[in-house]
Amino acid sequence: MSGLSVGMLLFLVSVGMSLIFGVTRIVNLAHGAFYMVGAYLMVTLVEFLPDRPWAFWLALLLAPVGVAVLGGVIEVGLLRLIYRRDPLMQLILTFGLILVIGTLVLLVWGPDNKSVPRPEALAGSVKIFGQPFPSYYVLVLVLAPLVAVALWLLFYRTRWGMLVRAATVDREMLGALGVNVAALYTQVFVFGSWLAGFGGALAAPTVAVALGMDGDVLTTAFVVVVIGGLGSFAGSFIGALLVGLLQSFGILIFPAVSIVLLFALMAVVLIVRPWGLFGRPEA
Amino acid sequence: MSPRSWLAFVVVALAVAPLVLPSFFLQLLTEIAIVGLFATAFNLLMGFGGMVSFGHAAYFALGAYTAALLVKRVGVPLLAALPAAPLVAAAGALLFGFFIVRLSHTYFAMLSLAFAQIVFTVIFKWKALTGGDDGLLDVWPPSLLKSPAAYYYFTLIIVGLCILALHAIVDSPFGYALKAVRENPRRARYIGIDVRRHQLAAFVISGAFSGVAGGLFAFYNGSVFPDFAYFTKSFEPLVVALLGGVQSFFGPLAGAFGFKILEWMISRQWPVYWPLFLGAIVVVVIVVLPSGFVGLVGGRRWRRRPAAKA
Amino acid sequence: MRRRLPYGTQELAVLTILLVVLASASPAAAQGKPIRIGEINSYSGLATVYTFPYKEGLLMAAKEINDAGGVLGRPIEFIFRDDKLKPDEAVKAARELVGQEKVDFLAGCISSGVGLAISAYAKEAKTLYFATHCQTSRLTWDDGHKYVAHTTNNVNQYVRALAKKAATLPYKKWAHISPDYEYGHNVWEEFIAYLRQLKPDVQVMQENWPKLGETDHSSYVTALLQSNAEAFISSVWGAQEIAFVKQARPFGLLDKVKFISASVGNPDELEPLGKEAPLGAITPGFAWYDEGMQKRHPKLAEWVKKYEVRTKKDPTLGASWGYASAYIIVEAIKRAKSAETDKVISALGEGYEMEFPWGKVIMRGCDMQAIPPQWVGTVKMNAQGKPVLSDIEETHGKDVIRSCDEVAKIRAVAAEKKK
Repeated sequence: MSGLSVGMLLFLVSVGMSLIFGVTRIVNLAHGAFYMVGAYLMVTLVEFLPDRPWAFWLALLLAPVGVAVLGGVIEVGLLRLIYRRDPLMQLILTFGLILVIGTLVLLVWGPDNKSVPRPEALAGSVKIFGQPFPSYYVLVLVLAPLVAVALWLLFYRTRWGMLVRAATVDREMLGALGVNVAALYTQVFVFGSWLAGFGGALAAPTVAVALGMDGDVLTTAFVVVVIGGLGSFAGSFIGALLVGLLQSFGILIFPAVSIVLLFALMAVVLIVRPWGLFGRPEA
Repeated sequence: MSPRSWLAFVVVALAVAPLVLPSFFLQLLTEIAIVGLFATAFNLLMGFGGMVSFGHAAYFALGAYTAALLVKRVGVPLLAALPAAPLVAAAGALLFGFFIVRLSHTYFAMLSLAFAQIVFTVIFKWKALTGGDDGLLDVWPPSLLKSPAAYYYFTLIIVGLCILALHAIVDSPFGYALKAVRENPRRARYIGIDVRRHQLAAFVISGAFSGVAGGLFAFYNGSVFPDFAYFTKSFEPLVVALLGGVQSFFGPLAGAFGFKILEWMISRQWPVYWPLFLGAIVVVVIVVLPSGFVGLVGGRRWRRRPAAKA
Repeated sequence: MRRRLPYGTQELAVLTILLVVLASASPAAAQGKPIRIGEINSYSGLATVYTFPYKEGLLMAAKEINDAGGVLGRPIEFIFRDDKLKPDEAVKAARELVGQEKVDFLAGCISSGVGLAISAYAKEAKTLYFATHCQTSRLTWDDGHKYVAHTTNNVNQYVRALAKKAATLPYKKWAHISPDYEYGHNVWEEFIAYLRQLKPDVQVMQENWPKLGETDHSSYVTALLQSNAEAFISSVWGAQEIAFVKQARPFGLLDKVKFISASVGNPDELEPLGKEAPLGAITPGFAWYDEGMQKRHPKLAEWVKKYEVRTKKDPTLGASWGYASAYIIVEAIKRAKSAETDKVISALGEGYEMEFPWGKVIMRGCDMQAIPPQWVGTVKMNAQGKPVLSDIEETHGKDVIRSCDEVAKIRAVAAEKKK
């Protein structure tokens, strides 16, 4: 069951990455770093705010905004310069960003491990099918699908969402039709960053907030996005669930090879479905 | 200076280096040569074949472990063990490549990554054979080749031969067919080129030479560890080739030289915060130098037109 | 519309980068009076939480030593390099330090793999290497040789001390959760072997081997709950153990099954856990704040004060190791009356003892292994609502560490395997 929660948290991060790729065709390797910044901002906000029940929720609201701002700055200041470049160069640039953001986190927050305590109301557990289940995971299981539904509504029932979907299919045509594609790119990148930050902030009370957390989440999110199919919303969702469940059950069935389960799953999926589960062949 | 005179200058400089440079720099140059070979082999696939692999560390590691195990466990002399490295690496590339070349772009890259992680896991967990994460220690060349200058020359010769071989491959009908496949696979198929076969062949050749690099590295380093197969090692040839310039055959070598020197200078100057500076420099280089380091030196014959974007 | 950069911008940018880096590059120091020690450790990334305090301890000791006139009338100087947590980077750094910077000795390491790699290089380069922070017993035992000395605790000692305490508890059914790599296996094997020695009726109910760096341990938590174990030991450490404890709490695991940990008592884990700390857990740790500790070691409070003045932070176990390592190195040089490698190795081979603010550290000659005091305590909440270690029981490593004969046997077996 907790595999589902883990999967949901993973979905929040992956869908942002998939979205950014779908529209801008950039594989944002710095996405894990955004997740990490979201978690660290959560730590600071929770420490700063008074020790009241509402503090946690306010922090959860504000932390992703900080990450979104960071994403906006990077997109406008840096990515815009390289959209015309070889996608590989863009990849290496986002890789360079990982190093920069990671060191900045070290400089700002220092090397110590941090933790965000779960809010009082959600610190315990509830009984599901007679087994204890952490209450905080219930929150995740409620919030994340809500976000998923909201995203679906956004992409399929609003004009902006329609523009985004159109951009994933044919950017040039969109530009020819008079849409400000550059602004759209920025919006999408900011939104994707917000999602990563929200994932990090929401996940923070379930893990340790420490340097290096960006690497783990990046690899896993990337694998999820590939399994689901780059640029596919449904793919990110299903992929995230699969990976979350695999992490939970896989270690019970194949304990000896827990390090490689994730990649083995990806290998199997790709051999059977070369474009991921729901991906489209690249034009 | 024309590209040709650059080449001559470099060859002469490398030959006389041991007379002028202290031994640490010889060792640094040795490492640069090995990384340059790895990156050039990698670029056969990426720059000329148009296929990006995230899992080349697997073949590097297979080469390194093969050579190290043969010398340590079986007692084979270095000169016999080293040729085995590309053979095992090529076998791995053949096995994995068969599945990988059926995919393209990011999926190709990720499946190659997945196989590399599988190799890592096998090395990591098969403690009895590979020593697991304790690694294999005391893997040194025989006393004849042990001094920095001796191993430097040895590496240069092997790397030089491999580069010549790779150059011949790139300049051969096979190489041209590969480039045709990269530019337009469908058209290549129509004129009778077996696309899959060419891509797999390129993959295997690339893997084999990566294995040579791995074998050379094992004895340079003196020990082998599972993290030779970890995906972070796969990014090194990628970054090096891109920074050096993928459009040119010698780009990866230039990239190896530039990146390794840069990395060394930055690390010793800022032992704690070096990632910040290295990352910033990478970002600046990407923005300012679209053709990589080699673009500074002047065009080479194989500069290609930017591929048509989707 | 393509943006064209003005002609020559590329060249200018590259030149500028090169100039900036070159200009700030310090020239290789000329060989001269100071005794130079090349220190290789992990100064970037996730290990910094340990290495930053360690470095402070090291430099604090170096300053004291130099202010007191140095050793043999010469100051000591540490030159630092980052190993990026990669054994081959460490070897490269070692090469530079020995070949280029011409250091007299090598020191450092936090990751065991890195330590072993540096040690292999040191043997080859015939340079003495002081392993100062990593803890694998292999350094001086299985892979030991005359060019490596270990100036801190090794896994064998502190795990046995922990097992000794565990043997006094009324639990027979044990389980464990350990990260699936050398250190995790090492700790579990040492623990269960020694526990069985002291308490032969111990039963192993379950083994759990999460991967190193696992983020979600919920399945392991449920497994442990269902294992029928009365107690379990965890060698999961750092951020991973923080995550494990946080994930275990809502399941009530730590209340139902006695929690023994090899590292949760360290401040890098206890402090962030705060009110989520595992009360009642039994674990080793450097509890300098404990009243009992300060009574037994009257100089401790003063040392802590000095450290706090210097760094504005509380010391960690790593800080004490850094501090002790510097002094141990210097003592060896003093006794050798020379900084020449072979003479220092002989001095180490004879062994010696030193007093530190926290007790006696023995440098054992037969294997050049340091033997410090061992502490095991229980996690409790202090009056300020912060988790601390209390009820500290102190033994000395010498009471639990393998004997010189056992070490000789281990080395013989290892040498056979390498043939």
